[in-house]
Amino acid sequence: MAGQTEKPPDPRWAWAAYEPDADRPWNLARAGHLYRRAAFGANWDQLQQALADGPQRTIDMLLQPQGDIAGFNRTYDEYEAATGSVDQLRAWWLRRMIQTPHPLQEKMTLFWHSHFATNAEKVKNARLMQQHVRLLRSQALGSFQVLLEGISQDLAVLIWLGAEASRKAQPNENLARALMETFTLGPDHCTEDDIRDASRAFTGWFVLRNKLRYISREHDENEKQILGRKGNFARDDVTRIILEQPATSRRLVRKLYRWLISETGQPGEALISPLAESFGTDYDVQKLVETMLRSNLFFSAAAYRRRIKSPAEFAIGIVEALEETVSTTQLANDLANLGQNLYNPPTVKGWAGGQHWINSTAIVARQNLASALLRGSGPYGNKLNPWAVAQRHGCATPEDARRFLLDLFLQGSIDPDVYDALPKTARRQDDDLGGRARYLAQAIVTFPEFHLA
Amino acid sequence: MLEVSRPKELIEAFTNDKATAAITALPLYKQQASKPQFNEFLNIISFIETTLGTDWRTGLGKLTGAGITLAVCPEDTVLLIIDAEDDQMLERFHEFFFNIARSEAEKKGKYNIVASKEYDGVTAWTFDGKEAHTIIGKRLVLSNRPEGLKAVLQRRSQAKNESLAANATYQAAKRTVGPDAIANAFVNLKPLIGLPQVAQLFEQQHENPLAALAFAGIFEAARNSNWLALGLHIEDSTLSFRASVDGKTATQTSSAAFALPKKPDEGALPNLTVPRQIAALSLYRDLHQFYAAKDDLFPERTSGLIFFENMMGIFFSGRDLTEEVLAETEPEIRLVMAEQQYDPAIGTTQIKLPAFAVILRLDHPEQFNEVAEEAWQKALGLINFTRGQQALQGLIIDRYVHAGTKYSMAYFSTSGIDSKNNLELRFNIRPALAMPGEYLILSSTDGLARDLINSLNQEMEHKVKPLAGSNSLVEIGTAQLTSILKANRDTLVRGDMVKKGRTQEEAEAGIDMLITVVRLVDRAKLSLGTHEGLTRGRLEIKLNLQ
Repeated sequence: MAGQTEKPPDPRWAWAAYEPDADRPWNLARAGHLYRRAAFGANWDQLQQALADGPQRTIDMLLQPQGDIAGFNRTYDEYEAATGSVDQLRAWWLRRMIQTPHPLQEKMTLFWHSHFATNAEKVKNARLMQQHVRLLRSQALGSFQVLLEGISQDLAVLIWLGAEASRKAQPNENLARALMETFTLGPDHCTEDDIRDASRAFTGWFVLRNKLRYISREHDENEKQILGRKGNFARDDVTRIILEQPATSRRLVRKLYRWLISETGQPGEALISPLAESFGTDYDVQKLVETMLRSNLFFSAAAYRRRIKSPAEFAIGIVEALEETVSTTQLANDLANLGQNLYNPPTVKGWAGGQHWINSTAIVARQNLASALLRGSGPYGNKLNPWAVAQRHGCATPEDARRFLLDLFLQGSIDPDVYDALPKTARRQDDDLGGRARYLAQAIVTFPEFHLA
Repeated sequence: MLEVSRPKELIEAFTNDKATAAITALPLYKQQASKPQFNEFLNIISFIETTLGTDWRTGLGKLTGAGITLAVCPEDTVLLIIDAEDDQMLERFHEFFFNIARSEAEKKGKYNIVASKEYDGVTAWTFDGKEAHTIIGKRLVLSNRPEGLKAVLQRRSQAKNESLAANATYQAAKRTVGPDAIANAFVNLKPLIGLPQVAQLFEQQHENPLAALAFAGIFEAARNSNWLALGLHIEDSTLSFRASVDGKTATQTSSAAFALPKKPDEGALPNLTVPRQIAALSLYRDLHQFYAAKDDLFPERTSGLIFFENMMGIFFSGRDLTEEVLAETEPEIRLVMAEQQYDPAIGTTQIKLPAFAVILRLDHPEQFNEVAEEAWQKALGLINFTRGQQALQGLIIDRYVHAGTKYSMAYFSTSGIDSKNNLELRFNIRPALAMPGEYLILSSTDGLARDLINSLNQEMEHKVKPLAGSNSLVEIGTAQLTSILKANRDTLVRGDMVKKGRTQEEAEAGIDMLITVVRLVDRAKLSLGTHEGLTRGRLEIKLNLQ
């Protein structure tokens, strides 16, 4: 499925569930596409299982995986709770992304981490940052309303925004502004008066010794006017009013469209409206994600390879494919060098993503990371072994391994001349089959296609 | 060059009943023993025993008993010479491996890689086309390159008696590490010091004041040396490594003179002992002279130290750090690390750090005590103010008396904390300052400070003498080290999981292995000093084979 210019799709067709047919068969390319978006990539068994199960059943399993997800998360929460540093938290989260039986949950947690961007360097408290990401994870596929209410009371967010104190005499506008302009409506759908009055509704709330305290005598009890509503509003009223605005659901749907469907071009209002209307009634994130993943649009050329992988997706995609776990302490540092420092989004708007991930320096850095992961020595040791994986799945010759690794990493046909250009011989004279497979894998993951989700 | 002159004693030390029991009890050994490859290995050993007609220990002793020599030569040439006690056993051993090599070569279709050649009356073989070896009487000579073996045979045929073993310098070097050593190593330092990696190591002290403080004397001695000699002695279950270089130690005018005892009877003091001690370090370092020479010792860092000096100026009320603060300290410096004891009423931390303290001897304790106390309180005040700016809890300062010594301490209060079983890391730190007699103790915990007051009081009663000529002494007791590793096992396991990408089971096995290996050592002691103008070092490791 090469990318091509398409006219705006009919929304009814776009959001209807994809059913494979002769023109759009369910194949390895589409299975890989699904796993790249709804997870961080897939290993060979997962791809084969997806082919056997079909698209809708595979999506069922991605939305509601079998296994003790709660137990897994509990264990990892305990691991994280035992650390005292954000560096360790980064490492544990990456390990969770690799090992989780519910990768869609972690993918969405990462989405919300960029959306409700909160930087640990200013918060300076690993415990609070852990609680913040736990909140994101708890509602990653849950209720946006619950998530927004949680965020408005989240200590890490308040400290990051500089909203630790809001007094009647001097309302702190930072939280209200972030809530309205960045997290929900957008700057075009609220005025300075709205922000000012919303901040008055938030008065009386203080972060004191890492606890949220309400001091009633500091709360402004006078009437406020927020987004056309009048009343003696308090904190919870602000989030309710925000959620009642169609602009909120539209903006979030657009953001999720970019995350799950395509980064190229803006979707038309007609395309977005059905989802925005539905989402605005209950703010059920899972329902929205499910609609997008099951849709014809998702499995069309308009979505195929229309996102650039973030550094985390790039690296974990390699690790997942090769069925191993690597040093995530090292990986966290390497991803930070590629511009994605977990727990430390650069600004309140999070990571811009898309083409911002790629420039000439970043491409070289990605190649270096791929080389480090696949080298067989160094900080990642010999954990990732392409030849061993190829053998495990029935390959006996170098030619078998070439085809297998191409399908594993790229899941699609590539031009014959590109295939021919792939390394056939060893990099060094004394390279054994393992060495050759590593060299080949490195070549494949540096193809432009591999950088595209 | 490495020479093992009494291999049988070495073999006996590591294969006697106690050592065997200790090794076979290791989890790693048990893990390997369960694998099929291990059984194959045992079968090969058994076959070799049958071929040699004796058990493997005896066979190994007879094959190597007259000595082993390993030499690293120019152009990456390595030579191994093994002197057997029994030439017939050596021949049988050689034939065993010759047959294996030929069989393997035939399987691969590479018939030519196992070959032999006559050279000057001896037969030289190769088993893989790369190495080359020969047997001359009871002597096996093996080289990683045919050119290496050829060079040896040429020297032999020229019948010159120029051997390193007979060389006067080598003999002198050997004597410095004890003539009765089981094994000796001799390193020609001049070419080694020229290597870029080694030169870089030497340069590190110019960038790192702590490296300069710890190692300047050693680096200077090594830089001035032609050779390094090492000797291994074994007595009961104690391994003793002795090292010596021929370079003169720092003179009193060199920048590294701060690490040189001024008088023959001066040196580092014996280490202090406290309950639950993990390690102790005693140094002879004249801090005043050290810091005064900073432009020579670590020129790369002096501009960066300006901020540090300014801060010290604040703490010490405008006193010059070199001339008015460090000049008040004597060269005998000691450090102690010990396992902490936690009071359940106060709380226990999740990660249990050891306590550590530095002990200085003061020149004018009566005048300097208040200066030190004031600086200490200023430092605590700064910490509290900075923490307050971040809405973080500060330290509470208090003063107590213990064994006649008034000491100050600071602590984070745990009142108001419901669960006192898993406190944060910072609760490991309860800094304390004490000044018993002429000493100053700066400790990370009040408990260790009290133990050190007791230890120093005892020492002052008995008038301890310095270890003449010694400038550094490190002692590690692994019982406490094992204890602290066990106390932090879960933390170490989790750290291993994310650092190395291991599963929990793999990480647990790795940490348990580390604890087991640490337990194999009862204690270790490293001392460095001078003797007859030469720099000497001694490392003693007492094994615990229980």
